[in-house]
Amino acid sequence: MRRHRTPLLFLAPALAMLLLFVIYPFVYTVCGSFLKWKGRSIVGVAGVSNYQRVLGSSDILNVRRLLKLKGPPLGALVHNLLWILIQVPLSTALGLLLAVLLRDVKGGVVIKSVIFLGMVIPMVVGGILLRFIYDAHAGVVNAVIRLIGLGKYAKTWTAHPDTALYSLIVGSVWIWTGFSMVLYSAGLESIPKEIFEAARIDGASGFRIFWHITVPMLRPITIVVLTMSVLWALKVFDIVFVATRGGPGGASSVLALEMYFRAFYHMPPDYGAAMAIVTILTLMTLGFAVYVFRLVVK
Amino acid sequence: MSRKRVLIHVVAWSIALIWIIPYLGVFIASVRPYSEIVDGWWNLHPFTLTLDSYSAVWNHKTYPLKRAFVNSILIAIPATIIPILVASLAAYSFARFSFPVKDMLFLTIVALMSLPQQVVIIPVFFLMSDMGLINTRLGLILLHSSFGLPWIILFLRNFFMTLPVEVEEAARIDGASDFQVYFRIVMPMSLPALASIAALQFNWVWNDFFFALILLLSPDKYVVTQTIPMFIGRYLISWDKVAAASILDMSVPLVVFALLQKWYVKGVVGGVIKG
Amino acid sequence: MARVVVRNLTKKFGNVTAVNRLTLDVRDGEFVVLLGPSGCGKTTTLRCIAGLEAPDEGEIYIGDKLVNELPPKDRNIAMVFQSYALYPHMKVYDNIAFPLKMRKYPKSEIDRRVREVARLLKIEELLDRKPKQLSGGQQQRVALGRALVREPDVFLMDEPLSNLDAKLRVYMRAELKRLQRELKVTTIYVTHDQVEAMTMADRIAVMNNGVLQQYAEASEIYSRPSTVFVAGFIGSPPMNFIECTLVEEQGEAYLDAGAFRYKLSEEQAKLVREKASSSELLLGVRPEHITLHLKPVEEGIKGRVYVVEPLGAELIVNVKIGESILKVKTPVHGELKVDQEVWVSFNRDRVYIFDKRTEESII
Ligand SMILES: Nc1ncnc2c1ncn2[C@@H]1O[C@H](COP(=O)(O)OP(=O)(O)OP(=O)(O)O)[C@@H](O)[C@H]1O
Ligand SMILES: [Mg+2]
Repeated sequence: MRRHRTPLLFLAPALAMLLLFVIYPFVYTVCGSFLKWKGRSIVGVAGVSNYQRVLGSSDILNVRRLLKLKGPPLGALVHNLLWILIQVPLSTALGLLLAVLLRDVKGGVVIKSVIFLGMVIPMVVGGILLRFIYDAHAGVVNAVIRLIGLGKYAKTWTAHPDTALYSLIVGSVWIWTGFSMVLYSAGLESIPKEIFEAARIDGASGFRIFWHITVPMLRPITIVVLTMSVLWALKVFDIVFVATRGGPGGASSVLALEMYFRAFYHMPPDYGAAMAIVTILTLMTLGFAVYVFRLVVK
Repeated sequence: MSRKRVLIHVVAWSIALIWIIPYLGVFIASVRPYSEIVDGWWNLHPFTLTLDSYSAVWNHKTYPLKRAFVNSILIAIPATIIPILVASLAAYSFARFSFPVKDMLFLTIVALMSLPQQVVIIPVFFLMSDMGLINTRLGLILLHSSFGLPWIILFLRNFFMTLPVEVEEAARIDGASDFQVYFRIVMPMSLPALASIAALQFNWVWNDFFFALILLLSPDKYVVTQTIPMFIGRYLISWDKVAAASILDMSVPLVVFALLQKWYVKGVVGGVIKG
Repeated sequence: MARVVVRNLTKKFGNVTAVNRLTLDVRDGEFVVLLGPSGCGKTTTLRCIAGLEAPDEGEIYIGDKLVNELPPKDRNIAMVFQSYALYPHMKVYDNIAFPLKMRKYPKSEIDRRVREVARLLKIEELLDRKPKQLSGGQQQRVALGRALVREPDVFLMDEPLSNLDAKLRVYMRAELKRLQRELKVTTIYVTHDQVEAMTMADRIAVMNNGVLQQYAEASEIYSRPSTVFVAGFIGSPPMNFIECTLVEEQGEAYLDAGAFRYKLSEEQAKLVREKASSSELLLGVRPEHITLHLKPVEEGIKGRVYVVEPLGAELIVNVKIGESILKVKTPVHGELKVDQEVWVSFNRDRVYIFDKRTEESII
């Protein structure tokens, strides 16, 4: 009957586009990462040698500096992990606090909108904003530092190896907090007021209510926020490209950027290495997404 | 107000200040001459108001923002409409029909959302080269449309499931074919959801940098986000011009956000939380 | 206009059998009500007839044509949903016009018919409104209008009145019935409200657990229920059932209920002996067929007043006899007190006896 044909007709355009521009390229990249490339031509099977080359490169994994417990550059892979470790908890917690705090503040809606703007503006502009506030002369961060009498530390924070990465990560907290705040706000609204009232009648203090009722009830949202933040921290590109180009000396580089350099910037392109890098990256995003999904389904 | 509430307000507005100042900074920098802001836009003496930076970047010799705006719009509008049409049909299929491997297919599509842009770009670059779509708007439109499909499918499928089935059944009894049910009943009933999606997808495409960076190679094809970094010099950054260009660039998504704020937030939240 | 025949219809959802081997024959122009408790498969039956659900087994004929494989739009039926299912984005006019537009009627013809139906349903002044701006009763009429406008062979209605308030429901009940008489369209109407069924139907099909229990005129369903279920479902308050066993003493047959014995007539005894599968029986009497006495009477059964429920002109008196409670409907007695001794007697012609095991009617 009709029922068999229509779903296919409705699905066909979407499936065709996804196959051509998403799934096929994705599979191609994964396979390509195991092949030997010469320019655009495949010249043989590489096995895992692309991966060895990539993971052995100090741009991706700077084992020497890592072992000596030095600061960046530590390699793009480590930078991405640092990004997750620092930005995700900070922006998630901050978003939750702001959502709770701004609920009963006059003008809270306006403040929320402003904080959310980081999610609305292009990340390129986000990168510009960060580069701008960290600028030695024109940047407001240094103005504050001078104001509190620490003028000798004033510098272009994104231009120094020890601070470039961390200042971008802190900046990304500034950009990304709006997301978790908005989700948590929506989540808070969906908790029935009676629950808080009942808790108060039962004699719970504000902090205990927050810790024992609000936080657990927002767990599904926390999972979503964490997932999206981790994925975003893994995929970060625009901000770094605009603010530092991964510099100085690779001190703020990330995987997506390293992939870009190898495939589209350096001449001749090294597609094998680029594909290996992005396969590693995808393995992390996809693996993480599947892991969380399993967690949620259980 | 109790002291505690006063404290909360002070804290809240201080935090707000941290978020507002950078925007305020670029805005002030964009309307003052370079000489006045190079050592800090917060120095208010002297204060000259000028739109020179705007006209400079708008009519720039090599990278006129005027042209970039046209390019961005010519890409963002079709790359919003096409995926909505395509994805909504698929979403409807997932929401209303049963067919073999439906759940598997749906999960696969949802999983695609986590893919980074970088993982498809090399083969897409090859593909577009072979099809002669490098450095064309069409190429970028196709890529954005495809890449936007998974989340729109997920969002709309969830939305369609909340619509009352009886209305569609009534239409079928009244003589409508599947396509008629879809275009005459379901689509019009879904306008709020479509508004959310349109706002988000438009901004997503407008804000994209990476795909454009790879696929659009000549300055006359550049989109706005691509043009901004061009104003950052190697050693000296003309903050006045960079600021003006940034303000112009973000003004479009900001206007979309302001106009569709309610739906925008619903879109961000709705994909995630039910109801 | 057409007759509808459903033969051996079975529909399963997973391991739930929503409709089980249902056979139903609806005459041309007849008004048939599907009646039964929630979840008994009424809606599913209707949806199978409409073509919204594909039967697992059985055939459906509309006007002598096998329609199993036909999509809903080709069955020439119209359906009114419980939720009305109006198109929220269309004005009333366009809602009613939609079925005609889909069938590519000329504009002038559409306009003529829409206005005619609107006049018939007295909703002419609502044509420019959206469904949201209408009251429940008005929405209901629009839904009806949308069904009427096409002049279908069969009307299918799924609890169309259940979202209306009590007064409007009674009014619309009469209106609907009048309309159906006037248009003579075969109608299958689903409800779980027995009063609605009794007042509107030419014939009632009582369903339970997906199985058709009885299919007959309202009076027959009331006076000759074929199963325990039908007997208990129809009538308010429901029929009293008393468990009892058949005993024979000195050539006489009695039903022994423990607290009392009910003597069977010659004729009744003969039927029971013939039909009963065992001596376990159910004695059924409707509250309105029991007489309440304040003094002992012949064949009266003694009991005590347990609860009195006043219903205005009448009373429902719950009488405790042994361990069981009998509901008795009676004109107002002034001086009834709780625990007072009373006697009840059954109207002999209105006593039912069921086989306890098969739940089938014996008398
Ligand atoms: N789509 C479905 N999927 C699974 N089970 C269903 C579905 N539709 C109905 N059922 C089940 O089939 C049985 C009959 O349902 P149906 O809707 O026909 O009952 P109904 O008589 O119309 O009840 P009501 O008076 O409550 O509307 C119920 O047990 C119901 O749970
Ligand atoms: Mg029903």
